[in-house]
Amino acid sequence: MRPSERGGRWRAALHAVVGVVLLLGAAAALAHKASDSYLQINASADRLDVRWDIALRDLDVALDLDSDGDGKLTWGEVRSAWPRIESYALQRLTIDGCPLTPMGRSLERRNDGAYAVLHLTSTCTLPPTPRITYALFADVDPTHRGIAKVQRQGAGVELTVLEPRASAAGAARAASGAAASASSPASAVGARPGAVARWEFFVEGIRHIVTGYDHVLFLLSLLLPAVMRRTPAGRVPVERLSAAVWPVAGIVTAFTVAHSITLGLAALKLVSLTPAFIEPAIAATIVLAALDNVLPIFPVRRVVVAFFFGLIHGFGFASVLAELELPRADFAWALLQFNLGIEAGQLVIVLVATTVLFTLRRWPGYARVVIGGGSALAIAIGATWFIERTANVSILPF
Amino acid sequence: MLRAPIVFAFATALAALVAASAVATPITPSRDDEVIEVLPATSAGRSEDRQLRRRLAERPGDARLAAAVAERYLVQARESGDPRFAGLALAALAAWPEPASAPNEILLLRATLEQYLHEFDASVAHLRILLARPGGDRNPQAWLTLATVLRVQGRYADSDGACRRVGVGVYASACLAENAALRGETAAARRSFQELLADARLPPSTRGWLLTSLAELEERDGRTAAAEAAYRGVLRLGRDTYASIAYADFLIAQKRPAEALAVLKDEARTDTVLLRVAIAATRANAPSGPRDVAEMRERIALANERPEASVFHGREQAMFALAIDRDAERALALARGDVARQREPLDLLVLAEAARASGRRDAIEEARRLKSALGLHDRRIDAAL
Repeated sequence: MRPSERGGRWRAALHAVVGVVLLLGAAAALAHKASDSYLQINASADRLDVRWDIALRDLDVALDLDSDGDGKLTWGEVRSAWPRIESYALQRLTIDGCPLTPMGRSLERRNDGAYAVLHLTSTCTLPPTPRITYALFADVDPTHRGIAKVQRQGAGVELTVLEPRASAAGAARAASGAAASASSPASAVGARPGAVARWEFFVEGIRHIVTGYDHVLFLLSLLLPAVMRRTPAGRVPVERLSAAVWPVAGIVTAFTVAHSITLGLAALKLVSLTPAFIEPAIAATIVLAALDNVLPIFPVRRVVVAFFFGLIHGFGFASVLAELELPRADFAWALLQFNLGIEAGQLVIVLVATTVLFTLRRWPGYARVVIGGGSALAIAIGATWFIERTANVSILPF
Repeated sequence: MLRAPIVFAFATALAALVAASAVATPITPSRDDEVIEVLPATSAGRSEDRQLRRRLAERPGDARLAAAVAERYLVQARESGDPRFAGLALAALAAWPEPASAPNEILLLRATLEQYLHEFDASVAHLRILLARPGGDRNPQAWLTLATVLRVQGRYADSDGACRRVGVGVYASACLAENAALRGETAAARRSFQELLADARLPPSTRGWLLTSLAELEERDGRTAAAEAAYRGVLRLGRDTYASIAYADFLIAQKRPAEALAVLKDEARTDTVLLRVAIAATRANAPSGPRDVAEMRERIALANERPEASVFHGREQAMFALAIDRDAERALALARGDVARQREPLDLLVLAEAARASGRRDAIEEARRLKSALGLHDRRIDAAL
């Protein structure tokens, strides 16, 4: 709709004084809406179909479709430009885990003009919170938006508004659509110049460990019994804080050294493991670590367990790092920032957890409720994640 | 008794037709020379536009070039009421994301585009950065834009301050007179406008603009004959979309919808024009009424696919909800959202009318409080409350 013309009248008057001729007569015009593209995303268990409608007049600004410059787009002009339209658009849309292949083209007329329609497909399972990276017309019209309707089999339609260059982590529901796309999740960071200088990768590292529930849960599982020591008569609380700090420090150091090694190896592309293996493996480490709390299964000390499982978690961090698109110029520095961020976040979690556990340790129910119950809960969540990640289903909301 | 089902069936069929036309229909071209889309007309010429765009792509940091491209698109946005051009203009300024380091002309254009896009707070912030620079305060255009944005926000005293920095001459005087009129210093403001209009050398565009201000002053003061004479005076000078819309609103309020339709007959059907056409045609029982209403409804639905649209276009959507749908609650909600952002007399009038139609005391009181907080003088609002 048309913004207020009031201001325009005042400015027009000044233009007259400055000597710039400004015609205020309205030109022939039809429906005036802002530039939007429309994405209809249909997801079934193992397949994704995307129908993407993009206005021809917007494409003309980016690609000069009107080759003879007569202000009219003919079928001939559009037909010969189709390959350019397709590659321009496809370079500006990614749905993580779902590489898109063009399947067909068509044209349609909407209220505000003719649209090119791209039919895309992918043999993949759309994640519960898909990360959609959208950059259409980012260089041409910053007010452009992509309006995405995500339809899952047997579920309602979710509406997301995609802002060019930002990427929407997860399809937010209609009510919160604007807010969701306004947040700038991980993948937007790498594109910004000066991100390294502003320590943005450090922040990303903190964000990842604090919101990476699986890593936190693994650490907590290891820490639960650290304020107790085993005796022939069962577990007894440690007397002094130092008696708890040393095992905690050992476990955390081993975990840190190990995941730094694999994070570095993976970031340098020396070693690569598929997420299909790593993600369930991380879930398995939680189950095993928690199980060891109630039923000792490891023949070695927990420091060793923390080290070996830490190697697996390092690959998990590395896959996030790949999404961040580290700048090539400052690669080592960015990697170090990310790792330091992870360690800083981890340190805070460990300090808080140890303080709470140390305070609770003399409570008679500690062994049964905190260690037993906590471990059982961790086993349950870890096992569910393991199933989710191997069978590709969604059970838990996080 | 037989006619009701027939009318109902007809209405259903019509509604289905409208709904069908709202969704996309496939185009199946058969020949290469078949025209699929007519691109919007450009005032300056298509090849020149394209050439400028290419040169800017090669030298994105060239401030003069970027300003020229943005200025062209801004003019087109204003001429056509097409917000896509404002987006293109903003893209031309993308090389200066930090306002603090943007050149003066780039910053002024950004602020003006933000004004066009109703981002008033951002516009004021950017103008203030510009005007605080050494030598940046010698920019009458920036001061006048600032005065205008502050006035739209209802900050009359702040607007006065900016008007005084515009300098001397017709624009500075009219700037102050406009604020005085809004505050109810009607006699002084009227005298000011009349003195300015007495200058026979005024170009027609400036004369029309001053006369429109005078017409609005008289309308707010309840002097309908004087207001109508001034509106007619503007339209005798030539076509003026702003004045036509304001005059149409006046005629609709005077219960003369058929005349409002006649005033808008030759205007392009932008959203603001179509809204008045739909209301006037409905009130006048014109045969085109249902079609105009359906078209307007469809445009609102399309715009609202973006969640923030009902905020940006709250005034128009509130007017539609009130005049066409007679949905006072919805109109009130929309009008409340609107006045949080912009507070021209029409915004407050719509809020007052929605509050009155809803019959809610708290809403009426809220409108009354807002009006007195601004210090706005408008007898139309007094009558509604």
